[in-house]
Amino acid sequence: MGLAAGRADPAWHAGITRVLKGWVNVTAVEASTTGVRSIEAEAVPTRFARGWHCLGLSGRFKDGKPHTVNAFGQKLVVFQSGDGGLNVLDAYCRHMGADLSRGTIKGDELACPFHDWRWGGDGRCKKIPYARRVPLRARTAAWTTMEQDGLLFVWNDPEGNPPQPEVAIPRIEGAGRDDWTDWVWQEIVVETNCREVMDNVVDMAHFFYVHYSFPTYFKNIFEGHVATQIMKGLSRPDARPPGKGPRMLGNTSVASYHGPSFMIDDLTYHYDDMDLKSVLINAHYPIDGNSFMLHSGIIVQHSDKLPGESAEAMAHKLGEFILKGFDQDVEIWKHKTRIDNPLLCEEDGPVYQLRRWYEQFYVDVADVRPEMVERFEFELDTTRPVEAWKQEVEANLARRAAAAGRQA
Amino acid sequence: MTIRADDRLLDGAPMRPLCCLRCGAGVEVRKASWEQTSVQWSAQALGACLERQAARAADGGAGGLFEGCTALRESIVRAALEGAIPVPED
Repeated sequence: MGLAAGRADPAWHAGITRVLKGWVNVTAVEASTTGVRSIEAEAVPTRFARGWHCLGLSGRFKDGKPHTVNAFGQKLVVFQSGDGGLNVLDAYCRHMGADLSRGTIKGDELACPFHDWRWGGDGRCKKIPYARRVPLRARTAAWTTMEQDGLLFVWNDPEGNPPQPEVAIPRIEGAGRDDWTDWVWQEIVVETNCREVMDNVVDMAHFFYVHYSFPTYFKNIFEGHVATQIMKGLSRPDARPPGKGPRMLGNTSVASYHGPSFMIDDLTYHYDDMDLKSVLINAHYPIDGNSFMLHSGIIVQHSDKLPGESAEAMAHKLGEFILKGFDQDVEIWKHKTRIDNPLLCEEDGPVYQLRRWYEQFYVDVADVRPEMVERFEFELDTTRPVEAWKQEVEANLARRAAAAGRQA
Repeated sequence: MTIRADDRLLDGAPMRPLCCLRCGAGVEVRKASWEQTSVQWSAQALGACLERQAARAADGGAGGLFEGCTALRESIVRAALEGAIPVPED
């Protein structure tokens, strides 16, 4: 029995026509007569992605002082007002341009170090101690913030719209719970455009060469504003010293970017005598077009084999391990060039489809096209040997030949 | 950034239309090998998928991760075994 092709389905037909048109145009541009593959790269985008961006552990902003954050090509100030809420403003005072992050928190307001102008978390100047009235237009840029699971998030939208509920960052199971560790959190500045970190979502081969793991199952799912990577891997025995303590057999990782910058990874490590459950955060915010702040955070679940203190120690060990992984990436990123036309082999992951998904965060909401958000799946399953597939095909062919023989 | 096309779809096999044997959802499928499968869904196909509807109902519309449809996966396996979706041989 054959399969009916979907030619009667008008949506499918429109889809394939659209895709074909895209290919033909791009191919014409890429055609080269020299035979040498050229590396192409447009300038980095001039705008920053629309979406929630994590600024790190919220606790570190609650020390009674304002904090400088360089993000989205600007200098921002984070401060906690008297009501306990965390606020993010443009750091430059609208009066004479002083840096508010060098100022002082006074009650609900942030006081400028230059002339003591008082700014509220809503971006409005509330008071000028030496003036009878606050001038008109005394308002600076205020950013929408959100605190959740011990983390501070800021909403970036070049169009200035508030966040839609559909793109909310999901709650993290285990965060803040007694039977899980506290966050082990680390931040590093990386001197390149943040698209490089996104490419990791699809780059299955680099996990072997750069991170010494051996994926046996790999899947990407892009849908709406979420990009997921599912990976089941074995530890590479050649990359670990033998003996000493429980042996790590492999891991199962289900990691989703919720928007352009915040990835939650439900990561289970399989040992010969136990499973270790953890949640890994991989997040970043752009500092400017050519650098970003890379965050990694981890929490680990306590278990019989891994009670409180051992779990904390394990979380720190894993944190270091993950940081080492980032160092390996950073070493590559520091020296590589930006490339819009990576030359892929069939064994590579869906880099182009990931970038098509990522583009939705760099255009106005009205310009988000269906191809950027429609569900796409890429799966690599090596658990069934190719030999088994081939035998089944042979059996099918033999059956067909026998049937044909009977009819003749 | 301009959205670019994947060279592999021009140099190798293109995505091919396929309907799920269970719900009839029309998707595009490509196999680069026996191990590898790509599936491009449309909004309409996703709306038609029964397992997807069941998953959405089960999590109360929370929008949790839908890993994939087993009926579609089975349909793709059959299409590959019967030659309707070509699988490049080494």
